[in-house]
Amino acid sequence: MICYNCGAELTTNNFCTNCGADVGRYKKIVSTANLLYNQGLDKARVRDLSGAAETLRQCLKLDKSNVDARNLLGLIYFEVGEYVQALNEWVISKNLRPTKNIADDYIELLSNNPAKLDVYSQAVKKFNQALSNCYRGDLDVAEITLRKVLSLNPKYVQAHQLLALVYIHSEQWENARKELYRAQKIDVGNTITLRYLSEAQNILDMDDEGALQGKGLDLKGRKAGAELRAAGKKDLADNYAPQVIRKESKTSTVIINLIIGILIGLAVAYLLILPAKITEAREGVDESLKAAAEQLDAKTAQISSLEQDLKSAQNQNEKLKSDLEVYIGDNGRMTAIDSLLGAVNSYIENPEDMQTVADYLDKIDEKAVEESGESFKVVYTDLMSKVGADVSQTYYDSGMRAYQEELFEEAIGDLTKAYSYDNSNGDALYNLGNAYRKSGDTVKALETYEKVITEFPDTEMATRSQQYINELNVD
Amino acid sequence: MINFEDELRKFHPSLEIEDAQDAIYNQDMTDITDLLVKLIREDRDNKEETKEEK
Repeated sequence: MICYNCGAELTTNNFCTNCGADVGRYKKIVSTANLLYNQGLDKARVRDLSGAAETLRQCLKLDKSNVDARNLLGLIYFEVGEYVQALNEWVISKNLRPTKNIADDYIELLSNNPAKLDVYSQAVKKFNQALSNCYRGDLDVAEITLRKVLSLNPKYVQAHQLLALVYIHSEQWENARKELYRAQKIDVGNTITLRYLSEAQNILDMDDEGALQGKGLDLKGRKAGAELRAAGKKDLADNYAPQVIRKESKTSTVIINLIIGILIGLAVAYLLILPAKITEAREGVDESLKAAAEQLDAKTAQISSLEQDLKSAQNQNEKLKSDLEVYIGDNGRMTAIDSLLGAVNSYIENPEDMQTVADYLDKIDEKAVEESGESFKVVYTDLMSKVGADVSQTYYDSGMRAYQEELFEEAIGDLTKAYSYDNSNGDALYNLGNAYRKSGDTVKALETYEKVITEFPDTEMATRSQQYINELNVD
Repeated sequence: MINFEDELRKFHPSLEIEDAQDAIYNQDMTDITDLLVKLIREDRDNKEETKEEK
């Protein structure tokens, strides 16, 4: 400690040993200033920056030359975002003690970082701008600007407080509380922060209670309750809170809630999930059915096609068989040729044996003759011309024998053959008609008699045929 | 209960760098010690004047 009068180093005496000035009171003042500095330091250590700043200002009011207090005060100003005030203190501190002063380092730190300095400067400018907006009533713009300020300098306590105030004014209690918590982190003992926080907390607490009870509180009630609560009149404040219902025990509530939750889950599963699963399963089944149906259709189409092919093959087979039959059947061409050759051969070997020739010729079908080639027809016609009459006579004789024995069926067969081998054999035709008549086949008898009349007119056979026709018609 | 207008009045613009110089110059650096010295000097001066008059 130095003398305020002459600047000499003071001793333990209450006077200056150099100039004799009374330094007793001066010593007490300086001691008190040091005490305040210590208190300020303690507060700063626990982050009660507002309290520390106030204490340090008092210290400096007692002793402006307390460089440590000034430096610490500058540091506190810098921490809360008031960097110009911080610079002021450090500059003054440097002037008071030009050498061995930490304020040098602080100033140099800022000077050597112009970008950072510019950021702080922007933050301060915008804060002042936001404050002007608040005065003008442009709270929305102020809110946006303050958010910008805090993005530039998150430790700007005043900006946090002003933003919280704006939120409180617009009843954004939760946002206000968040900002105030942030401010409180930087400066725990700030009375403005604490006051605003208490206000917001009261409102939010009452809101929570109201929500818990299922009742909302109107704004007036909440504000009135908060006012009274802030004034310490908790009993009166409770009048603005809804009646507190006694809560059930937690365990039973949990169990009931569990049961309700399970029931809701089952209901959801039954109503929402199960139908969807059923639909999905059905769709799967439908898909399978569809696929199976498609396969079935394909198979059916294949079967139809095969059936068509089979039918076509069968038809072709039948045709080929019938074609073959034409050639090799009993009435086929091959058979006819064989029979003709047999007849010719028999005639050549034994011309008298008409029966054998007749047997061969009987095997030849008329249709086969018609469909045969020219050579066949020539040979057949030639043979018939040679043997026809004789064969006809042979059959006529056997037919008449059968007629006389009243074997009319046999007679009809032989007489028919007799006439077929010789169309000029009128007797055979006439007796054929008689055989039909005698056998009871009236229709065939009439036909035959008509043919006799037609083929052999003006003959006795025709006359008799006419008589028989008349008789049969009358019957 | 917080009144917005009243609370708003408590907020003051922060110092900008352009205002730093004026702020430093206009700062009242008088402390208790200065007052005490002033009082002592005034007291001393008064005593000397009284001595001279006698």
